[in-house]
Amino acid sequence: MNLVQSKETMVTYEPDNSIKKGYLSIFKEIFNELKSNQWLCYQLFKRDFLTLYKQSFFGIVWVFIFPLVSVGTFLILKGSGIFTFGNIQVPYPLYAILGIAFWQLFATGLIATSNSLVKAGPMIVKINFSKKSLVIASFGQAIVSFIIQIVFLGILFIYYQHMPSIIILFLPVLVLPIILFSLGLGFILSLLNGIFRDIGNALSLLMTFCMLLTPVLYAKPVSGTFADLTNYNILYYLICVPRNILLMGIMNSKSDWTGFFISVVLSLVFFTSCLVIFHLTETRIAERV
Amino acid sequence: MGDLAIKVEHVSKKYCKSLKRSMMHGITDIARNSLGFSSHSGVLRKEEFWALNDISFELKRGETLGIIGPNGSGKTTLLKMLNGIFWPDKGKITVCGRVGALIQVGAGFHPMLTGRENIYLNAAILGMSKNEVDKKFDSIIDFANIGDFIDSPVKFYSSGMFVRLGFAVAVHCRPDILLIDEILSVGDQGFQIKCFRRMNELLDSGTTVILVSHSMIAIERVCKKTMHLSNGRLKDEGETMEVIRKYIGNIESCNSEPTSTIDKENPIIFTKGNIKRTNSQIDLELEFQTTISIKNPNIVAILWKGDVRVCNIVSGDTLSSLRSGRYKVKFNVGNLSLSYGHYHVSVRLRDRLNPLCTYGINGRIVDLFVKDNSEGMNGINLGENGIIIAESDVNIESI
Repeated sequence: MNLVQSKETMVTYEPDNSIKKGYLSIFKEIFNELKSNQWLCYQLFKRDFLTLYKQSFFGIVWVFIFPLVSVGTFLILKGSGIFTFGNIQVPYPLYAILGIAFWQLFATGLIATSNSLVKAGPMIVKINFSKKSLVIASFGQAIVSFIIQIVFLGILFIYYQHMPSIIILFLPVLVLPIILFSLGLGFILSLLNGIFRDIGNALSLLMTFCMLLTPVLYAKPVSGTFADLTNYNILYYLICVPRNILLMGIMNSKSDWTGFFISVVLSLVFFTSCLVIFHLTETRIAERV
Repeated sequence: MGDLAIKVEHVSKKYCKSLKRSMMHGITDIARNSLGFSSHSGVLRKEEFWALNDISFELKRGETLGIIGPNGSGKTTLLKMLNGIFWPDKGKITVCGRVGALIQVGAGFHPMLTGRENIYLNAAILGMSKNEVDKKFDSIIDFANIGDFIDSPVKFYSSGMFVRLGFAVAVHCRPDILLIDEILSVGDQGFQIKCFRRMNELLDSGTTVILVSHSMIAIERVCKKTMHLSNGRLKDEGETMEVIRKYIGNIESCNSEPTSTIDKENPIIFTKGNIKRTNSQIDLELEFQTTISIKNPNIVAILWKGDVRVCNIVSGDTLSSLRSGRYKVKFNVGNLSLSYGHYHVSVRLRDRLNPLCTYGINGRIVDLFVKDNSEGMNGINLGENGIIIAESDVNIESI
């Protein structure tokens, strides 16, 4: 039966293949590829998951170290009076750690996806397999860390006796836009990183900078150029706004709502276009990586 | 399409020699493609060259094709394009059916994972479904035969074990088209035999096989048709025996030059060889020139099949001492049955009483191609060290 099935598969390779077929068939191709490679995707994710902390003494504890150190740093800065957080109505550690959990989802996800093709370089030039699955699977690690951090946060919620908003039940929906945004960007950067290794080097540097620019660990400034900048920062709407909704239930301002919805739509469009670009150009990466 | 397996139409592939240029070309291609423009890949840009140039061929279901050629002739590139890893810059490739590629065994293994975990991972990467792996899991472990190590991380494996496991997964893929790149020479003898047996099973079940190899024996054994690539171009194509014969002749014409000068270092040179085979009878003629006189000459001609020594044909104690000059020696082997394949003869002249003293040597003086298996028993003797010696009449004359 297997043979009968496989006899029907016919593949053609020629230059500019996808362009000749037209854009509509591209979506079908992408969908079919992702669907038929679910198990591959899971296996690749499992590989990353099993090997990440395998030869490590602290193991999974590393997931907590980054948020604790970051929050600790800010607490010290606050204690010494160098820095003020602004007006935050909930216990600061809750605010900060939840914010960092969201941020980490974006940042570690982006870094992992951007490096995924380069890391698998030797494999890519020897086996033909779905590269989209590889990129998506490499994002899985960030999601696992996020879930672990959320569980850890649950304990903190009890400790501070603070009830999160009922919206927390919709957490998966709230994080979806930032995941799509990060993944979309990751698709493009993984390709570019395959050609220019600069991308990978610059990214970790840039991430720290972006985190300081986004009000993850402090409240959104009320006025000044920094506040204006934040108004146009898509990361603010995709990371800080959902976090604020979760903690406080409602949003401070109407502009946050509109900003949030615009950003969600943008991230969807962005993700789709990145996926299409990846699909159109992934055949070029094996020879350059 | 019908029973067509692979169709390659005027396919070319270009590579870039410089890394920095390659980066620039790569980003241009990506930009053009993502904006929906053609990448004009059929034109050479700065520092690019054609690694494969205008290759066309067709392969039907169940056919076997060998690809030979010197290093850098584009064999692996062609294989990778058939697998879809690289895409052609010109032309079109059509592939019908599931493709399994053995370009490097164990390429998808993760060193930290155990063998068991790696089987699932590698199988998934090679395109197997979960059900398939579940069903074949025991058979894979059986084939690899690495014992308790199956639960150890792959990085603690010996290179042999690594390869066995990789091959075990790969051959369980049940592809319609199998692409193999120079990997049958791995593992120990027992495992190689296992691999060949498995290959034959695949061939019997109608798998189309393309084999890239430098081992002419492997090509002869597996492939009916062969392609000879040279500098990215299709130099020759046709029946395996014919293509290999020309290919070897090709190598010979550039390799045999150095031994043809006679000097103090090489007091004796073999200048010409001629071999004729009728049924099980073999006539071997060798010409040599010597500048010194030899007291107890012993001419040893060794018949090789690839790197396997078939037998020695020796002059024994029949020759009297030789003075300097040119000689022609004729061996007449009465009864030696040979199987299908291609053979070559190496020859050396040494001192009969002191076998360590070799006067002259020629690593490959003449080739022999056997297309039909000859019947009959071999008239052979076991010599010293278990070397098989073919009985022969010898006569030598001065020319």
